[in-house]
Amino acid sequence: MRASTAIAGIGATEFSKESGRTELRLAAEAVLAALDDAGLSPGDVDGLVTYTQDANQEIAVARETGIGDLTFFSRVEYGGGAACGTVAHAAMAVATGMAETVVCYRAFNERSGRRFGQPNAGLTGQPTSQGLEMSWHVPYGLMTPAAWVAMFARRYMHVHDATSEDFGRVAVAMRRHAATNPAAWFHGRPITLAEHQESRWIAEPLHLLDCCQESDGAVALVVTSTERARDLRRSPAVITAAAQGAGAGQMMMTSYYRDDMSGLPEMSVVGRRLWETSGLSPADIRTAILYDHFTPFVLTQLEELGFCGRGEAPGFVRDGGIELDGRLPVNPHGGQLGEAYIHGMNGIAEAVRQIRGTAANQLQNVTNVLVTAGTGVPTSGLILSSD
Amino acid sequence: MIGTALPELSIELTPTVVISTALATRDFTPVHHDTALARAQGSKDIFLNILTTMGLVERYVTDWAGPRAVIRSIDVKLGVPAYAGDRLTFTGTVVAGADDRLTVEVRGRVSLGDHATATVTFTPEES
Amino acid sequence: MTDEELHELAGKQVALGEMRGAPAPDPVNVPMIRHWLTAMGDTNPAYLDQGLAPPAMAQVWTMQGAGQNRSPVDDLLAALNGSGYTGVVATNCEQTYHRYARVGELLTPATRLTGLAGPKRTALGVGFFATWNVTWYGDGDEPVAEMMFRVLKFRPREPEPERRPPYPLQPAVNQDTAFFWEGAKQEELRIQCCADCGELRHPPGPMCSRCRSANRSHTVASGAGTLYSYVVHHHPPVPGRATPFVVGVVELPEGVRIVGNVVDCPIGEVEIGMRLKVTYRAMDDRLVLPVWAPEES
Repeated sequence: MRASTAIAGIGATEFSKESGRTELRLAAEAVLAALDDAGLSPGDVDGLVTYTQDANQEIAVARETGIGDLTFFSRVEYGGGAACGTVAHAAMAVATGMAETVVCYRAFNERSGRRFGQPNAGLTGQPTSQGLEMSWHVPYGLMTPAAWVAMFARRYMHVHDATSEDFGRVAVAMRRHAATNPAAWFHGRPITLAEHQESRWIAEPLHLLDCCQESDGAVALVVTSTERARDLRRSPAVITAAAQGAGAGQMMMTSYYRDDMSGLPEMSVVGRRLWETSGLSPADIRTAILYDHFTPFVLTQLEELGFCGRGEAPGFVRDGGIELDGRLPVNPHGGQLGEAYIHGMNGIAEAVRQIRGTAANQLQNVTNVLVTAGTGVPTSGLILSSD
Repeated sequence: MIGTALPELSIELTPTVVISTALATRDFTPVHHDTALARAQGSKDIFLNILTTMGLVERYVTDWAGPRAVIRSIDVKLGVPAYAGDRLTFTGTVVAGADDRLTVEVRGRVSLGDHATATVTFTPEES
Repeated sequence: MTDEELHELAGKQVALGEMRGAPAPDPVNVPMIRHWLTAMGDTNPAYLDQGLAPPAMAQVWTMQGAGQNRSPVDDLLAALNGSGYTGVVATNCEQTYHRYARVGELLTPATRLTGLAGPKRTALGVGFFATWNVTWYGDGDEPVAEMMFRVLKFRPREPEPERRPPYPLQPAVNQDTAFFWEGAKQEELRIQCCADCGELRHPPGPMCSRCRSANRSHTVASGAGTLYSYVVHHHPPVPGRATPFVVGVVELPEGVRIVGNVVDCPIGEVEIGMRLKVTYRAMDDRLVLPVWAPEES
């Protein structure tokens, strides 16, 4: 499968706090924009992939966009952790001949509609395996993503002598990047570390500015064979590696029962797989799109993926490592803290732009970009490369 | 005579009234003198005992009928409790009568409603 | 006693007819009359002038300490109490005076049960109306006064259980996890234990991942713990909870971790490594949560 598939088109709606449109309409708009970007028509599409928590069924999106017969459809599990997994599934389908052109999408009104950050007492409603898993936490009021992550963050601080300012520097960098990205919600609105420290507590040790924003919007990606992509409108972003990963003893956001709580073993699974299948190493990555719903896990990912050693991420960030001119520019678009929270899909689109050379904060000499998906849950990752 | 209304009698049910009448009737049941215990048993406060209700009805009629009247019977239907801190107000009407026997209907009301509805017969003047 | 048996007993007691009680401890006397008049606020001069007792005092003369004056009524009232009709309220008191008692006269009461009616539904609850008559005999064994007395003996309604609003954050429970929540209700911190290889496990599940056994047992943890990590939740508001509150991951000496609230501790004093002991919080009528307090408190 290596390098045989590519992302040939990207499309998105505007990112807002209130789209004023239905989620299905957002999905259709993004899918059509991605097809236009690739120079394909809906009739060329024979596969659709999304991931759980998307309210739009694949067949509904197909109906709205005029996509005809589908020979492949898939819905990848574990929410934001599946963002890169959609591309992995699409690439598998293309590589195996299940489909020729697959569109991956995420569309939601996550700010004006269902807000994932709000408590939902229904999490424990049914004795499904997930309902039971949540039942060890939700009755104690531990039921928001920020609080789930804060439990890991506190342990990380304890083990590595990290501070809230170490988390804050991630937020400051993301907002600085977003400030010069016109598509970002926080375009032109950088923050200081002092502002981060002064922002109110959400779930100690997390301040408000450690938490990504909530957004309405949609992003879609067109996956096809690299060979075919070469004949299309845009230069291909080649899928050099794609991986999913879950760790031993994995839970949804609450893997508190494993030996160590200061790491993200599932991201280690993904990293190992990406390096093994691509033959690349961290030194080969020009920029990384790291899933940043909460700042502490950006530090953990740097360590799990091998960009620095255990406990070294705070120093890596303090030394400017993730800045646009740093050793590993992270999220040049501003990430989900700065651009928009589209469950990681907007990050994949940024990786494609960096490969194409069309990003707002374009880096020079981009050959390989690493992208990760949601952390704290079973996750996924990609390495995209120039052709 | 029939239809004559008796003058109203209103008695402030101070704890002293409730307790002293209970003891004067040799009724030592704690709910008539022990506030904490009465409340623990679900009552709002200490309350009048029945022997006192009988005595007050008797007094109400003889206050009006005078010392020469002779009480023949007092029938009381008991209603809501008469708690300390409340006020017990008697009203009465002559409802039947011949020369030697009059019947008076008496109502004793407290804030919760009728505490006692009574029928009292008496002979105005012992022959 | 069944309702029928209560009626049978009442029938027997009615058949006993009138039973004499002990005579009054004192003859009709001026000090008690004066005391009574004063307490009632009765200024009628006739009684003391003529050496007569106010007629409504009839019962006063023979008021006795409990149990001294057995009457046919006592057994029936005891049986009603024993059958759950423990409430009592007098409904009627009808006194007829043949003459006024005279100072110096010794009164003797006699009681007969006249009836038991019920069970009946009343505003106070289901109950029986018991009716008896008392006659006071004076000098010369002639009746001075009579009284019909009726009480309602009722079964008090179950006091409305203090209704706590249902706690909104209920766990989902199934046969793999019920033992834990049942244990919490009994204030036991139960940790799943493989019945074959002894492996402890929390959170619990249907299979032992070490030996594949589905034979499960549980052990009761000592209740000691050490705080491994924690969060202080401030925002957004959580149903059923007042913010801020602390949730921690607690490491047990038995070798497993468990999540629970840290309570009875100022938030500023919560720290990783602190020693904790389990305690229990009833969240509503059905859910008890094991939570954690500082060991020294």
